[in-house]
Amino acid sequence: MTVFTDVVCPFCGCLCDDLEVTVEDGHVKGVKNACGISRSKFLNHEKNRLEAPTVDGVEVPLEKAVDAAADILSTSMRPLVYGLSSTECVAIAKAVELAELAGGVVDNTSSVCHGPTILALQQVGESKTTLGEVKNRADLVIFWGSNPSQAHLRHIIRYSGMAKGRFIPNGRKDRYIVAVDIRKTGTTRLADEYVKVEPNRDFELLQALRAAVRGHELLAESVAGVPREKVTELAERMKTAKFGIVFFGLGLTQSEGRHMNIDAAVGLVAELNNHTKFLLTPMRGHYNVGGANTVTTWQTGYPYAVDFSRGYPRYNPGEYTSIDMLARGEADSALVIASDPVSTFPAGVVRNLAKIPVVTLDHKVTPTTMLSKVVIPVATAGVEAEGTAYRMDGVPLRLSKLVEPREGVHSDAEVLEMMIKRMGGRAY
Amino acid sequence: MSKLKVTLVSGRTAQQGIGLEEGKTSDNYVKSVNHVQLCPEDAAKMKLKEGDAVSVETRHGSVVVNWRPSKELEGGMVFFPYGPWANQVYGYETEGTGTPIFKGIEATVAPTKGKVKSIEELVKSLGGDRK
Repeated sequence: MTVFTDVVCPFCGCLCDDLEVTVEDGHVKGVKNACGISRSKFLNHEKNRLEAPTVDGVEVPLEKAVDAAADILSTSMRPLVYGLSSTECVAIAKAVELAELAGGVVDNTSSVCHGPTILALQQVGESKTTLGEVKNRADLVIFWGSNPSQAHLRHIIRYSGMAKGRFIPNGRKDRYIVAVDIRKTGTTRLADEYVKVEPNRDFELLQALRAAVRGHELLAESVAGVPREKVTELAERMKTAKFGIVFFGLGLTQSEGRHMNIDAAVGLVAELNNHTKFLLTPMRGHYNVGGANTVTTWQTGYPYAVDFSRGYPRYNPGEYTSIDMLARGEADSALVIASDPVSTFPAGVVRNLAKIPVVTLDHKVTPTTMLSKVVIPVATAGVEAEGTAYRMDGVPLRLSKLVEPREGVHSDAEVLEMMIKRMGGRAY
Repeated sequence: MSKLKVTLVSGRTAQQGIGLEEGKTSDNYVKSVNHVQLCPEDAAKMKLKEGDAVSVETRHGSVVVNWRPSKELEGGMVFFPYGPWANQVYGYETEGTGTPIFKGIEATVAPTKGKVKSIEELVKSLGGDRK
């Protein structure tokens, strides 16, 4: 029996790094310190696995599947490489290389989650911090359109709520938590203050707060369903905090306004820095979506939606993003790595995905593997393969290899390397 | 009242996360995403009983799912966990941003005698029959 300590959890953008995993006879037998989802990931990682590489649903040797995948990508006019947020950084780098080799487009899951965040931050900048700073210093924490009680289960415990820090000696008692949302959630319940905003009206509320922070008198009696007094009170509370932070989620990026909501949030935070220290951090979902953006940026200059069809990288969200590529019927093949677009994309574009040959690398059976022409089982990163992942605040952490994958099953990076070699790319 | 006008909001749930790590074909995952959550008053308006199915419809599509009561929701607000069922009713317009709208969408919910599709049936209906 081996006990691994300080194991990093490969599920959400929190990348909790204090897990204890017990391994016996090559199988995970127990997990300590994990949330319910993390526990499920470690203890169920052997369930519902893809049994063998397949082409058109027929089991084939790995080499044949790699050949078929390489043939599809190299004979396509407009291949789309998608996913990448639930694997480690070397695999992401190889996927980018493969997209370049195929003259295709490489995109990651941020295009359907925090893509609008990236668009806004590229326009107006970002005041960043680490979750460690939040733990040690934040006395005002605002969750806006995010619900860590369901999506980032230990965020509030480890970093932003209960955690005791150097300047927050009493933990929860020393922090004031505000939750802005269109509905009551577990997070609004544990917050000191719930600000109920009308659906699709976050932009107005952010701008009203910005005006109030700047000292303008609000003329409207209520903004986005929030009474004027509440807006001015919140603005005052923000100005008088010692260290404030906004953790925002898909409530801002996937509703009307999208990147303009984030633009307004950044503007509010910038305004607040005339009075005190204030920051904002996106609540990134998949554990290495931050890495997908980071690696793609250091390789191509751009974080997602990158087109190589001219031989050099071009960036244009709205055009080279997966949803748009599929909606136009432009992608004529797809390579999906560590993602399940059939479960996460609107049905209208999934129908187009179903019309083209899809190659999928995954460890488990998913709706995407069900409609893929080529399916290659891979090792689970962070359980059966090591690597690096980027936390939601941009801190890179090392994922562990705790158990061996089944015989003949390789990591995403190794399978992508095989495809690169097969397509005539450089071997490393 | 047979058909209710609502605002649809989708999102993650812990059960969905736990289920997907078991596997997308597992019962736990399917149950965590093949339903909508309604406030009990809205369910009463539609005379919904436990075990009934509902049809959720937007201008982009419709889907038959189960329903569960949620005391956290106010009248007129329906929560749909992220997943293949929810995606039947979302559109793919991104307005140049790359990201569709998944939250705050106008929809209707109505009782139905229709059947909730299995995950295999759903994938097949999308054109995926290469299994």
